[in-house]
Amino acid sequence: MLKDILNWSEVWAPLIPLAILLIRKNQPSYLKPVKYYVIFALCINIVANIIWDFKQAWNFPDWLQSNNFVYNFHSIIRLLLFTWFFILLKQPFLSTIKKVVPVLFVVFVFVNFIFFEDFFYYWNFSGRLLSLETGILLLYCLQYYFFVLTEENSPDSRPASFWVVTGLSIYVVINFPIFLFYLAFLKQFRGFAIEIWDVTNIAYILFFLLIAKAFYGPKH
Amino acid sequence: MDQSTDIRYLVIIVIAVMILLFTSFLVALIFSQRKKMKYQASMEKMRTQQKDKLIEAAVRSEESERHRIAETLHDEVGAILSSAKLHLLGIKEINLDARDKVLHEKGRELLNDVIHRVRGISHNLHSNILKEFGLNEAIRHFLKKITQGTVIEASTELDDRYITENADNDISIYRIVQELINNILKYSKASQLHISSTLSEQELTLVVFHNGEGLTQEQFEKLRYEKEGLGLKNIQNRIILLKGKINFSNGSEGYRTNIHVPVNPVEHEQDNYSDSR
Repeated sequence: MLKDILNWSEVWAPLIPLAILLIRKNQPSYLKPVKYYVIFALCINIVANIIWDFKQAWNFPDWLQSNNFVYNFHSIIRLLLFTWFFILLKQPFLSTIKKVVPVLFVVFVFVNFIFFEDFFYYWNFSGRLLSLETGILLLYCLQYYFFVLTEENSPDSRPASFWVVTGLSIYVVINFPIFLFYLAFLKQFRGFAIEIWDVTNIAYILFFLLIAKAFYGPKH
Repeated sequence: MDQSTDIRYLVIIVIAVMILLFTSFLVALIFSQRKKMKYQASMEKMRTQQKDKLIEAAVRSEESERHRIAETLHDEVGAILSSAKLHLLGIKEINLDARDKVLHEKGRELLNDVIHRVRGISHNLHSNILKEFGLNEAIRHFLKKITQGTVIEASTELDDRYITENADNDISIYRIVQELINNILKYSKASQLHISSTLSEQELTLVVFHNGEGLTQEQFEKLRYEKEGLGLKNIQNRIILLKGKINFSNGSEGYRTNIHVPVNPVEHEQDNYSDSR
């Protein structure tokens, strides 16, 4: 039962910030990419879970027998949306790099999937793509905290961006080593790879809880 | 322990170390921010205190200047005018012809008028009544005097439970009321003016109501930053000094100004002011 709840957490976790969005409609403009991400994550995770759970029952075509390509797609969109979010924060720190990184990332995606990996590979998602994506997001989060540390004027309460970045940091800090070694685990210790996915799910729930906190805003 | 277990442990350790590093970083950040916030709050408090002290100094110097002018008018100008009146009265009218008699009478009238006006100005500038009879009586007296001979129907309904605790505060409240009434007489074209006050445990609320053309809160906020709005600026300064609030509103019946003044200011705040006295 708990296992099922955790497995479906990718679907129900985005519903928490979406519910908050229904009661707190006015959000700072820099949270727009996060709003889009939550909606996107809900849709794409529904697709991923439906493919995983109903591929045989509903007799999906061959290319829909594995949901790994959905994770690849999710990773690309997540990086692009959060890069947009960090750019919208207008922190005068590494601003050019933040604009160049998504371009380089898209180039990497094309080169990687044209020459080295198959985007629709049946057996696993691209560990290279996901670990690179979490690595870049981790660097974004660190530069955010570094800027906050060096900033002279602190706001009275923690801004919404702080909670989003903290949620994202938790998610990428936990998942970066997992994605980095995931393919090796799948090959050598399949059972461990499946078990450790629960940790990813828990990090994902925390991520969305903190996004919900960001949408909820400061105490009134 | 075989090699496969080692790798799995290694990954778990890497994750744990990353979480630990991240948590320490986050805690350090939160502590540093809290420290910064405390520093900013203390700086803000200091700035407010300095601003309050400056306002207080400005208000007090204005008040002492008013007293000096009032005393000079009363003791020097008033004395010279009284002496001039005595000299004028010393002239024997019997020796004057009809034309000189008229001139003498006119001179006497003008001198009486000047003495009366100088005394009035001196009393306005000075706050003798306020000191001797308290805020309510001073307001009643001022209102009666200033509306005498005008078309304005003035009335008061002041809460006599109010007892002066801080004479300096009363001077500020009195000056605010004076300024408001002067403005009403100058600009409002009102036919009715009513001043009321109510005392609660925490504050004294004064309401100045009139049925003419008055100010809204928006206009007050705008005008008090303008060069011409010196009176309104003084009102605002005194409100800051009193740690009170002023609110301008209008309804179908007329315009209302609510002044809220705390009656039991916190001890340490008073201590801050006592330094500069």
